[in-house]
Amino acid sequence: MGILAKFLQRTPSEEIDDPRQHLMLDPRPRGEMNAMVMESMHTTSWKFWVVAAILSLIVMVCLLGVWGYLIAEGLGVAGVNRPSYWGIFLVNTVFWIGISHAGTFVSALLRVFKAEFRRPFTRAAELMTTFGLVQAGLSIFMHMGRVWVTYWLVPYPNERGLWPNFHSPLAWDFLAISTYLLASTMYLFQPLIPDLAMARDRSTGWRKSFYRILALGFRGTEGEWTHLRTAMNIFAFAILPVMFSVHTIVSWDFAAATRPGWSSTIFGPYFVVGALHSGVAAVAIVLVIVRSTMKNMKYFIRPEHFNAIGKLMLVISMGWAYFFFNDYLVQWYGGDKFTHILLEWHEAGPVNWIWLLMLVCNVVVPWLFLWNKKIRSNPWAIFVIGLLINVGMWCERYVIIPLSLTINRMPFTWRLYKPGVEIPLSIGTLAFFALLYMIASRLVPLVPVWEVQEGQMAHGLRKVGKAVVPSVSELE
Amino acid sequence: MENLAVEVSHKWGMVIDQDLCSGCQTCVVACAMENNVSFVGEKDASYGRVMHWLRVERFWVGEYPDVRATPFAPVLCQQCGHAPCESVCPVFASVHSRSQQINVQVYNRCVGTRYCANNCPYQARVFNWRDFSRPDPLSNQLNPEVTVRRRGIMEKCTFCVQRILRAEDLARSESRVVADGEVVPACAQACPTGAIVFGRLDDPNSLVSKMARDGRGVHFLEELGTLPSVTYLKGGSSYGYTG
Amino acid sequence: MPETKTLMALFEDIDPAADAVDQLRLMGVGNDQMNIISGIPVAEAMLGRPRQWSNVPRLALGGAVAGMLIGLFLVIGTPSLYPVLVGNQPLIPVPPSVIVIFEMTMLGLLVSTFLGVFLDSYFPSYTPKEYVPEISDGKIAVLFTCPVDQQAQFIDAMTKLGAQSVKPAEAVKL
Repeated sequence: MGILAKFLQRTPSEEIDDPRQHLMLDPRPRGEMNAMVMESMHTTSWKFWVVAAILSLIVMVCLLGVWGYLIAEGLGVAGVNRPSYWGIFLVNTVFWIGISHAGTFVSALLRVFKAEFRRPFTRAAELMTTFGLVQAGLSIFMHMGRVWVTYWLVPYPNERGLWPNFHSPLAWDFLAISTYLLASTMYLFQPLIPDLAMARDRSTGWRKSFYRILALGFRGTEGEWTHLRTAMNIFAFAILPVMFSVHTIVSWDFAAATRPGWSSTIFGPYFVVGALHSGVAAVAIVLVIVRSTMKNMKYFIRPEHFNAIGKLMLVISMGWAYFFFNDYLVQWYGGDKFTHILLEWHEAGPVNWIWLLMLVCNVVVPWLFLWNKKIRSNPWAIFVIGLLINVGMWCERYVIIPLSLTINRMPFTWRLYKPGVEIPLSIGTLAFFALLYMIASRLVPLVPVWEVQEGQMAHGLRKVGKAVVPSVSELE
Repeated sequence: MENLAVEVSHKWGMVIDQDLCSGCQTCVVACAMENNVSFVGEKDASYGRVMHWLRVERFWVGEYPDVRATPFAPVLCQQCGHAPCESVCPVFASVHSRSQQINVQVYNRCVGTRYCANNCPYQARVFNWRDFSRPDPLSNQLNPEVTVRRRGIMEKCTFCVQRILRAEDLARSESRVVADGEVVPACAQACPTGAIVFGRLDDPNSLVSKMARDGRGVHFLEELGTLPSVTYLKGGSSYGYTG
Repeated sequence: MPETKTLMALFEDIDPAADAVDQLRLMGVGNDQMNIISGIPVAEAMLGRPRQWSNVPRLALGGAVAGMLIGLFLVIGTPSLYPVLVGNQPLIPVPPSVIVIFEMTMLGLLVSTFLGVFLDSYFPSYTPKEYVPEISDGKIAVLFTCPVDQQAQFIDAMTKLGAQSVKPAEAVKL
């Protein structure tokens, strides 16, 4: 009771917070911000190299080495069997595509809704999208029986006149994920061009050539800005339906099948909200790490941003709970005999701890803690909660894929799934993601400084009566 | 692209009499021999990776001491008329044959996504999880009329399509129709009790058509609308009237 | 034709830059003889400049149509070229076709938008152009052409309005 009271208590002094706490109301000269971002890219401590070396080792052994072994020996070394023909590889694929949705959400959706708090971390989120999709692609290739002929999914004219089967959700998957990968890479690159120009102007040596080539000769003329801004506006609106459609199509891999527990009509929006759930939590994790390990980032990423992300995490968690309960209720109430056995098996079977862990991490933890502003504004609290949410969402996909596959309409075939080489390969993809991000942090300006300056220009303090309040102008 | 060879179009089907099936599994062995099915070894077999194209299912029901076995059910690919496995293969490796009206698995097109296996309600498909070897002289046992499959490829019962094609070729060269009982798949050939009957369902006078119209006939998972080509006769201890 | 020179006046803030644009117009420099280079997008209205037109939306629309045509080929063309029957679905089923056509349309829209920026801005272009690195530090540069003999007057006028520097514009390697 005492702790509750302390959290609920609000002293008058906390009502009036110092406006300079907010990034948008604490402007610094653009030149200084540029220097801060460049410095954070160049300053590399020995700890960075140690971590990078360890990650590279893990990638070489767990990803490349074990994958080579998998290709040479066949999928027998993994844990998939009858009836769980799909296992952790698909879980990872869905997981990484889910994480990648966060970037688009932060970049596009928040931009469309003019949520100003998105400004300092859109690029960090967009980088997650690209690198997450790389891991998703790798996981898909890992699960293929004959990965060396996987290119047959590409529609190209050939001697035998064969084309892929567009009745199949996997063919839709291929088109949708390729579209999304291209779109999000392009969307990452566009607002990056002005920052690359800035980096070009402030670099020497090999870095200067690198940025020079990538900056494409951008100067900042009226024409260039107009074309860029028009394109970014089109992208922000257009990439949203793409984002929704991609994870919906991924969900249809399962929903279009005739399995108990899978052919549920709610899977489309359920998966999209699930993707946002794990994605936004992952953004929080990445931001905490960036803020605490990179120089000068404490100026750009502040407790107010974690507060905003925490609110998003709470709302999305409620959305996820709504869709989960919808799916569960309908199956529990009117499902057939096998659907009922499946639900019972999830809750009370030999591996029911996974199902319970999913619910605790996805719902209980966010609902218990994220309503409180102090907790939300604390980066490390958000880090732990974000990590737990990601664990919970990984468990959700594990429940949906190998666990639901175990209970089918032919009880003679029921057998529990036991992962094999999927475990080192999963660790490999995680390490690869982290490694790519670390490399990007040295080469790509992580904060879109021009957007931050634009936002700072748009924000001011206004007097309304006796109060001084922040006000935002629309500069476009 | 016109299908040059289609002059005949039959609907091949099977009837399995569960009241005659003794559960001896000779059909399983014969199918494996005829179709070059791989031996996976004890470890993989115990983990649900047997490669047999059909399995004989039997359950125990009741509480001790009133335990009894359910009738044996040899489950194989039902060659569905509306096969759920066909629409989900992204590379058209699982397609419907117009001339034999069965589901055809194209080995050299299969990429190994295993979506077809997930979507088969009968779990009738098996996957080559590894390259399995046949050390000499076991390699002499291979049937030259059937492809040997490598790792990463899906396979399943084909109704011994090599025997169907051989019979159809012979009949066409002799300018006649395939006679009833001329095509006998390996499982039907080996069954000691005659529980498996095979033939043309589109010929109302064939033995298999007559047996399929038997009052004891059921289709597994009929409610899914897959239109299986295999009819199971199950009367148990009491018989329905026959036709 | 009197000889002209291109000058670059560097300003710290939007207000002096807007005044400078007005002043230049008074002194006889036309709108198309001026260009603004800045480190953040400064809307034309803020500086009293005419609105810029962009081909990007038109290119985007064209790309969307191209994408839709590709999608139609994939779902109608390919099964017509090589018809394969698969369970319980017509050769050209409507719901899967909708999905494929949607994705290809969006792909066409987005790729052509992206390439449209390149096309309209003549990216990539590495030939030397008028520029100073201070622009990416947030300064606003007003580029204008004026007659050579009046150079001093222009420099004077700009400096009075608060220009940090007024120099002949040099083409630097970008």
